[in-house]
Amino acid sequence: MFLAWREITRSRARFLLLGGAVGLLVFLIVFVQALTGALIRQFIGAIDHQSGTVLVYSADARKNLEGSRVPLDAVSAVAAVPGVAAAGPLGEGTFSVQAGGQLRDTALFAYQLGKPGAPTTVISGRLPRADFEAVASDGNSAKGFRLGATVRIEHSTRAMRIVGIARDANYSVSPTLFTTFATYQQTRKDANPAAVVVMPSAVVATADPGVTPATVRDRINHTVPGIEALTRDQAVAESPGVASVGESIGAIVLLCFFVVVVVAGLFFLILTVQKAQSLTLLRAIGVRAGALVRALLVQVVVVVLGGVVIGGLLGWLALNAAGNSLGARVEIGALLQTGALVLGLSLVAALGAARRVLRIDPVRATVPGSLDA
Amino acid sequence: MTALQLDHVSKVYRSGDDDIVALDDANLTVAADEMIGLIGPSGSGKTTLISIAGGLLTPTEGSVLVGGENITGYNAKELTRFRGEQVGFVFQTVNLVPFLTARENLLVVGELSGGRAGRKQATTRADQLLDELGLGHRHDNLPRQLSGGERQRVAVGRALMNEPKLVLFDEPTSALDTHLGEQVMDLIRSEVKGRGTAAVIVTHDARVTTYCDRVVTIIDGRLAETAAASA
Amino acid sequence: MRIALRELRRRPGRFGPVTAALILLTVLLLFLGGLLDGLYIGATGALRAQRAAVVVYSADANDSIIRSRLDTTTRAQIERISGVTAVGGLGISLLGAKVPGETTLADAAVIGYQRPPTGVPAVPPPGDAWADRRLEAFGVRVGQTLRLGPREVPIRVRGWVEDTNYLLQGSLWVAPDTWRRAQNASRPDAPFAAGEFQVFVADGPGDPGVLARRIDRATGNATATLTKDAAVLASPGTRQQKSTFNGIIGVTFVVVGLVVALFFALLTLERSPIYGVLKAIGTTTRRLFAGVLLQALIVATAAFLIGGLITLGLTSLLPARIPILLVGSRAITTFGGILLTAAIGGAISLRRIARIDPVTAIGTGT
Repeated sequence: MFLAWREITRSRARFLLLGGAVGLLVFLIVFVQALTGALIRQFIGAIDHQSGTVLVYSADARKNLEGSRVPLDAVSAVAAVPGVAAAGPLGEGTFSVQAGGQLRDTALFAYQLGKPGAPTTVISGRLPRADFEAVASDGNSAKGFRLGATVRIEHSTRAMRIVGIARDANYSVSPTLFTTFATYQQTRKDANPAAVVVMPSAVVATADPGVTPATVRDRINHTVPGIEALTRDQAVAESPGVASVGESIGAIVLLCFFVVVVVAGLFFLILTVQKAQSLTLLRAIGVRAGALVRALLVQVVVVVLGGVVIGGLLGWLALNAAGNSLGARVEIGALLQTGALVLGLSLVAALGAARRVLRIDPVRATVPGSLDA
Repeated sequence: MTALQLDHVSKVYRSGDDDIVALDDANLTVAADEMIGLIGPSGSGKTTLISIAGGLLTPTEGSVLVGGENITGYNAKELTRFRGEQVGFVFQTVNLVPFLTARENLLVVGELSGGRAGRKQATTRADQLLDELGLGHRHDNLPRQLSGGERQRVAVGRALMNEPKLVLFDEPTSALDTHLGEQVMDLIRSEVKGRGTAAVIVTHDARVTTYCDRVVTIIDGRLAETAAASA
Repeated sequence: MRIALRELRRRPGRFGPVTAALILLTVLLLFLGGLLDGLYIGATGALRAQRAAVVVYSADANDSIIRSRLDTTTRAQIERISGVTAVGGLGISLLGAKVPGETTLADAAVIGYQRPPTGVPAVPPPGDAWADRRLEAFGVRVGQTLRLGPREVPIRVRGWVEDTNYLLQGSLWVAPDTWRRAQNASRPDAPFAAGEFQVFVADGPGDPGVLARRIDRATGNATATLTKDAAVLASPGTRQQKSTFNGIIGVTFVVVGLVVALFFALLTLERSPIYGVLKAIGTTTRRLFAGVLLQALIVATAAFLIGGLITLGLTSLLPARIPILLVGSRAITTFGGILLTAAIGGAISLRRIARIDPVTAIGTGT
């Protein structure tokens, strides 16, 4: 620590610049990951946090709930598949809702009472017991979606009362209301009086004890025509927006990791080359090579960890300062993971510099001019 | 006790098909508190000799004993330990670690080899040495804040820090003016003699030899003759 | 300056590390920009191509085309406004298309239109469509008959159009009745009658904002009219994507500046003795600094060219669902940004160069 720390404190500018670059790159990684996590939660939180473990879309929906419509008899067809414990209709639609004095895009997530599809993350209040009662997703109280509040869907004949709040239950980046399927059907008809029949968006099912959702999914796909069944995890991961966002952001994060590692590795290599004279002197007067390598690695740890802390702090500040309508947050676990990865990779990248240190021949100290500072 | 004993030491480098004999059957004995001047033209083998004596190079033939310790067959690790504990070096140009203070330059080997044990003791010793070397007010200065002569004195202090049996000086006054050079040589002599440490001083400055007990000449790798110092 | 250039030529290795880091940062910047452009262009082509000043939504649609619904009465009200020179209906349905010979469905946006947008020919006969090139990646070919939606409404591809997609789905430009047939078949709970559309596009001289307000007044606020630019930005996710990505791109440029500053600080340190000598023989600080700046700009340029080539190669390997699009104007602004931040990064060395004292630099034992 002695040598490593002395050099850092007396050549502050270089190490601060490197720490700054590492910090900003870690900030990018943390920020982008937090945003992606929030975006994905905002996109499909409602699907992820409802009680059905298998979702059945129309075959042409391409795993997009919004684009899916299944015939009413699909519900009984799915319920009849061996291994299905219960099945019910799931209605999804985006409506203009008068809440908090403003008209707001709101997603309706409707299920039949007593059937799968109810929200699983209710944190206050209760589940709906009657039509035109709803559980609202959290994080939208400022928009008027508060426990006990009354909201009105445009063109609807009745107001809706919010009887519960569920965590992380938004859909399509909109406030979401979990309500009864009958409410959904009535709302659709109110919005479009010409509608003859209101079809469910999907069928949502649960599996018998001892039967996995994947097995039920496969049986449904095999048995019921014109549909595509997915497990809940699949429905979340393969939702059209989620997959492409996840891959795109993944590529960005990978590039950021690359840059951090290359910059850190090259910096310490250059520094080692520049310090070659001092290092040769130290070796000549009896300092072990291992001690010098340890000093190098200590510097890597100090600078990179410093950068990780700066990056995490910046990420936290940026997400808070931005108003953060997505509810993005810096997860400590993710930050620690990112920090550990950046540190581990930087240490590996510093092996080039370590090799340089080990190759120093102390006898070079006796070559005239070789130790000119 | 003999501080340094070289018996039939040779160092041969292979260059293509040729053998380059840097040191040829060198025999040299340096007593415990003797100061030897080693003089010779460029390329005569002076640097090779002190490198072998200081455990920076291993001889091709012969044996090397420093303070009774036979270092001839030592591996790199053992030589590193030996250099840290038994030998002091002052290299040709001033050679301090630029980001360490004067005190820290003296402590560096102890810190990096010995760890925390005896750190307080070592610090006290370092401060004492610096005071003796006339650098009492410079303990916390970085090398760039010191004059050429002050840097040279710090280098001497570092060389003496581990109480070596033998200190090797490579052209200690080449970068100094006459007055400073004399000051440094006075200092070296008084420190070396006062501590009973042996010293080998490589130089081509005839004035330096006046501070030495003996002068050894080296030409083409052979220790040619010894002469008593004129002082 | 010549010395700076010679150093670049004769000691290229010295600049290897900073160039390598900048290449990676260039790839990151171009990738980010390409993603933003791909998302924007792929989501908004259908609107950007409209030959119209404004887009008219129903007031309760909250600027969403999919949720908007306008009838012939509203259209008549708009057409009566003096200053409105043309009105056309537009309807969009996002459906899956069965492509002959392919096992996966193509993501399609069936768009019924009356006023041909830029690059789209006149309205085709019923059952025919002009297809956006994006659909080629799904195996669509001219002359094929695609089957749209759960009722497999047949639509024959007549020819290609470019940059007319909606929400990253390949557009099929069809006659209004064809669109209604596809829409009503897939959404029997939300059918559109003859003459009904989701939105109207309207044109007229003068300020589009003024025109928009006049239309809403004329319909008694039953409509919410946006200028075309505002309608483009109102496309789902567009505004948030732009601000998020631009923020990330901005931070990345700062990283570029820091990296250049870092590596050039190290280089300057290494070259201090040489600078001391040059100053001693009469070179001014300004000339030395100009040399450093020149090197930073040349290194940044080389990194951009290499990074650009790498990005082109990498993006060709990406799966089609990653909506990345490399656009010339983005490349130019990225290059400009890299040059600027590299220059600023290199400028950090000015202080150190100015502080080099030629006297101490030349002395022995320094």
